[in-house]
Amino acid sequence: MADRTAGTIYDVGYQRYEGVRLGRRHAIWALYVHSLRGVFGIGRSLSSKVGPMGLAVIAFIPAVFQLGLASIAPVEVEVIRPEGYYHMIEVVLAVFCAVVAPELVGRDQRTQTLSLYFSRALRRQDYALAKFAALVTAMLVITLIPQVIMFIGNALAANNFFDYVRDEWADLPSILGSAVLLSSLVAGIGLVIASQTPRRAYSTVGILAAFILTSIIAGTIFEVADKDVARFALLLSPFHVVEGLALWFFDASADPGTQLAEADFRGVAYAIDAALAALLMLALLLRRYRRISP
Amino acid sequence: MTLIRTTSLTKRYAKITALEALDVELEPGIIGLVGANGAGKSTLIKLLLGLLEPTSGSGEVMGLDVFRQGPELRQFVGYMPEHDCLPTDVSATEFVAHMAQVSGLPRGAARERTAETLRHVGLFEARYREMRGYSTGMKQRVKLAQALVHDPRLMLLDEPTNGLDPEGRDEMLRLIRRIGTEFGIAIILSSHLLSEIERVCDHLIEIEDGRLVRSVPMTELTAPTRVLSVEVDGDGDRLADRLREQGVAVRTSGRFLLVQKEDDALLDVIRDSVVDLGLGLVRLEQGRRRLEELFQSQPTLEEEEAPRG
Repeated sequence: MADRTAGTIYDVGYQRYEGVRLGRRHAIWALYVHSLRGVFGIGRSLSSKVGPMGLAVIAFIPAVFQLGLASIAPVEVEVIRPEGYYHMIEVVLAVFCAVVAPELVGRDQRTQTLSLYFSRALRRQDYALAKFAALVTAMLVITLIPQVIMFIGNALAANNFFDYVRDEWADLPSILGSAVLLSSLVAGIGLVIASQTPRRAYSTVGILAAFILTSIIAGTIFEVADKDVARFALLLSPFHVVEGLALWFFDASADPGTQLAEADFRGVAYAIDAALAALLMLALLLRRYRRISP
Repeated sequence: MTLIRTTSLTKRYAKITALEALDVELEPGIIGLVGANGAGKSTLIKLLLGLLEPTSGSGEVMGLDVFRQGPELRQFVGYMPEHDCLPTDVSATEFVAHMAQVSGLPRGAARERTAETLRHVGLFEARYREMRGYSTGMKQRVKLAQALVHDPRLMLLDEPTNGLDPEGRDEMLRLIRRIGTEFGIAIILSSHLLSEIERVCDHLIEIEDGRLVRSVPMTELTAPTRVLSVEVDGDGDRLADRLREQGVAVRTSGRFLLVQKEDDALLDVIRDSVVDLGLGLVRLEQGRRRLEELFQSQPTLEEEEAPRG
């Protein structure tokens, strides 16, 4: 038999799939992984990698700078402290979000791929959750990793690595907690805005405005109005909140003369504010996908 | 097993009723869904997929509740929408494999079946290229592939030949027919072209203004008619005259004579007449009803002859 068919190409016909079907959880996982890869342009053309990868590199620069400084300085120096890191890269975070969030959710609306997702083994809210998780993870790459690099770098540069780790280990849960909270907040804001329109340009501008304009407006109100009341405006500005929650996580106080110092909220107020805002964003996102017609 | 069962399924929008108390029960097969634009075809398909929520009523596909057991059910359902639905910046291979995973297939199986499925739909070298440069025909193939890749038990195809040239249309219909018969997958095919439904389907449901007009096996609709069409090599009029002399109702239609067949003896009459006149018999066949005729007023031979006389 074998020799007779050797060298002959023939159609083996249709094969039934008899293997396992992993259902909804696997579907959500697959969408999450696909979305996360898409954020960084993995599996896409070079041009879709440049933006997100470039911004990620910029977010790493302060950490690498601190690392280099610590390694050549004869004494322990900490020019860049963990509680100040997010403030330093907040504009990068906003731009990163404004670049990737519209691709993450707007693309499926623009190309109408959404109807294919909604007709597969997941529910509408699963789609929203997978996208949210993907963006939070992507934001963690540029918030958590630089912090960890700094921590390890400082430990290596210290006179004694283990002494440093023993003294400073309490920073690790703070690093993780602050990065998760801040990433959820930024991702939530970005996705809620980006999911409103298939038009990329609109959502990019909208997201930038949500971060940068609110920061300017809240800051201005705080400067000109009665501080006892106007300080609450700062709680509506993501940048101020990001800065404030870091203070709480790292048990630090704001530099004298800054708006945060003058507002005189306790750090925990920013952390709670951030958590509530992130939850609100997630609720709005789920609502959006419950209503959207694919 | 019942493929689809809907019970007073209704979908209303603010001003219009897209589907009104639809009750259908369908067995697996290749089912044609016909109706004018806006009759409710797409609405029905979207309701069966759980893409739309019904205003009232319920639907079951393969024994699973469409609205409560959606994810579980949709592991076994494939959907090819009428509109564009493909991202532009990924390859067909990557996209279809991803869609297979979102239908519940493990990664490895998804990749294997993607290669196989793209081969079945006839997409070869192009499958590693970004889809932005694809022709309409290639896009339609990918759309079909993503609906087939997870080996569904039911495929819902909404106007799958839209935008295709006649050749592409032919190929798509052949493929769909093959999926339904050879691959053994139940199909709901919506089309506004009756000829397509006639070619591919073995059951037909018709919707008009959101209501079910009919649900019948195709064999009933395209049953043989009692009209014979005869073509001869030579002067057809002589044969027509000869047949009329013998009391047979005849009318001519181009090169053909159409003869009302009352019983099988007529076949002998025609044969003998042809021989007597020394003509050559080229064709003698029983006519079949065509769907188009059915959706018009079903003209019979007599009715059509009347205005001529």
